[in-house]
Amino acid sequence: MANKRAAKLVAIGVIVAGTLVAESRKEYHFAVGPRAGVSVMNPYGSIWVKPSLNNTVVVNAVLHSDKVEVDNSQNGNRVDIQSHLLAGADSDSGRVDYEVLVPADASITLHSSTGSLRAEKLHGDVSLEGAGAEVDVRDVSDAHVHVKTMNGPVNLDNIQNGHVEVDSLSGEVTMRGVNGPLVQVVSTSGKINYIGDFGNSGEYRLTSHSGDIEATIPEWTSADVSARSVRGEVHDDIPLQPKNHTWFPVDKGRAFAGTMGRVAVSSTVVLRTFSGKIHLRKRSENK
Amino acid sequence: MRPGIGDLTEPRQPKGTEPSEAELIERAKLGDAEAFQGLYDKHKRRVYSLCLRMTANTAEAEDLAQEAFLQLYRKIATFRGESAFSTWLHRLSVNVVLMHLRKKSLPVVSLEETTQGTEEDSPKRDFGADDVALAGSIDRMQLQRAVESLPPGYRMIFVLHDIEGYEHNEIAKIAGCSIGNSKSQLHKARMKLRDLLKMNRAEEAGKTRAG
Amino acid sequence: MNCVELQQSLAEVEDGSSLEQRAHLRACPACSALVNELNLIVAAAGELQAAEEPSPRVWNSIEFALRQEGLIRPQRPLVPSFSARWGAARWLVPMAAMLLLALGIYVRRESLPNQMAQQASVAVPAANSSDLNDADLMQEVVDNEPAMKTQYAENLRQVNESIRDAQGVVDESPNDEDARRSLMDAYQQKSMLFQMAMDRSLP
Repeated sequence: MANKRAAKLVAIGVIVAGTLVAESRKEYHFAVGPRAGVSVMNPYGSIWVKPSLNNTVVVNAVLHSDKVEVDNSQNGNRVDIQSHLLAGADSDSGRVDYEVLVPADASITLHSSTGSLRAEKLHGDVSLEGAGAEVDVRDVSDAHVHVKTMNGPVNLDNIQNGHVEVDSLSGEVTMRGVNGPLVQVVSTSGKINYIGDFGNSGEYRLTSHSGDIEATIPEWTSADVSARSVRGEVHDDIPLQPKNHTWFPVDKGRAFAGTMGRVAVSSTVVLRTFSGKIHLRKRSENK
Repeated sequence: MRPGIGDLTEPRQPKGTEPSEAELIERAKLGDAEAFQGLYDKHKRRVYSLCLRMTANTAEAEDLAQEAFLQLYRKIATFRGESAFSTWLHRLSVNVVLMHLRKKSLPVVSLEETTQGTEEDSPKRDFGADDVALAGSIDRMQLQRAVESLPPGYRMIFVLHDIEGYEHNEIAKIAGCSIGNSKSQLHKARMKLRDLLKMNRAEEAGKTRAG
Repeated sequence: MNCVELQQSLAEVEDGSSLEQRAHLRACPACSALVNELNLIVAAAGELQAAEEPSPRVWNSIEFALRQEGLIRPQRPLVPSFSARWGAARWLVPMAAMLLLALGIYVRRESLPNQMAQQASVAVPAANSSDLNDADLMQEVVDNEPAMKTQYAENLRQVNESIRDAQGVVDESPNDEDARRSLMDAYQQKSMLFQMAMDRSLP
């Protein structure tokens, strides 16, 4: 009995040791100038980008096997990182997890099929493409934020003065404190949640074919709002000044359109779904 | 020394193993993606910087740089090498930007600014920063910001002449103004830049003193 | 020549090198400093020539447009280690599908306002073409990303459903601007799915 247990422990030990041997870490440093461009292409594994303290790009990579390598190149102010899959690599053995520090003003392009993507505290352009895993962008200002995903959820938190474009097939999209000249979400079946103030006199266009759309905004929001669900219901908790003219028939319960707040500084808000529900909620003020 | 118009490539010299520009052009004519990207990499900074200086707007500059490259690539099959590729690309980029500015109804050369300039930019004008000298070198970032805050008409002439190396007769043709107008606008642009840079230094000196 | 004349003359002779200018500059420290400062500005201007790096998005958009317009033709992989998994020939089917989708959008956009009577006949070939390519897309996924098969199949089903729904509304109300936009969105979502499957929408 004791021998069996010992044999098991040895076997587990061998497996763990094997795993530890196979996993390796790499670190790369690049000196860059202002507004550098950094791209990370990683088929399998996560990428997390954070600001660095100075004009350097630091890449920490955890490689999960020897069937994947990290290719890196610097061309002037642009740094390209790429996971290079070797023969026989699959989604486990080809996995690399990256933590990348970039100057806050750098533009970043990240791509992963199965790993989560996260970018935070930046004010350069952010372009992320995922597939099944979570995409998270937070504390980004004065930048283009472009996200594409298949079914991974998308969270955007505190994006100020952004030019935001999200394309999601079925992943849920949640935005908190997102504003800018353009905030556009297009989804086939993903739910869209907006919690914010539709600020910045911007254009906000949230569209999901079959997903619900919910916007929670303060009563003092200045916006020209139109909402329409072809087959679903619409609910509006905030009184709007009705509009004289709309592009579509305003069927009660299926659409509403109107303005709120000060027209002179208002944003344009368009909420559209085919079969989902739309709900414009009033945010409770704690102040 | 001002850079010439033909000198459009990136500051870094290509390594010996990299294909020549002529080779890239020939490969691009055959639809080779790498060749298109190679040409883009060689010229992107110059084209984008031009667009950014002229518009002072990142998003517009990106769109215009994209449009300039696309227009060029669409015509690349007709390129026979009579003139330098970089000159071709550069003129095309300038045209794309000017067309854009005209569409936006921004004055390519503003008569209003010229008129105002006789008062505002007269030699006696004083921003209260005249005692600050622009000795030594001028910081690139400060100059960049000052150029961005020039009125569009001044900015265009300054960018074309002092940054891009165009002559006044060429600018006159491009902008549809007289050579004299181009010269006088350039002088006023430089004077305005000097004022802006001095104001900037005076403010910084004030902050230092306050600190 | 006095100070005012000197400064006005700088528009014509920029560097202050004419005889008259030089005579004044020798005697006037203020104008001399002015000319030096203007020369400093001119010298510094050259440094702005290629100072800015465009966002990677610029090349992404150019490359996408070049592929759509057929100016880039598949020859060898742009990024070898990524695209090695997808042979160059595999590009042909999905690219054709994307072009057909784009064509579908274009044809509809052009035809809807003016030729409503022809809509049905325009819609059929695009829909059939995209159906044919769905099988090819799924085959690619099965071959290369078997773990993602279910996710792709489900998303493909949903996006096809959204195209059918949006098409239905357009057919019912040809003047409905919203419906037309929804149809275009639906096609674009499908195009995105193809792009994702090919790992190609970013370089």
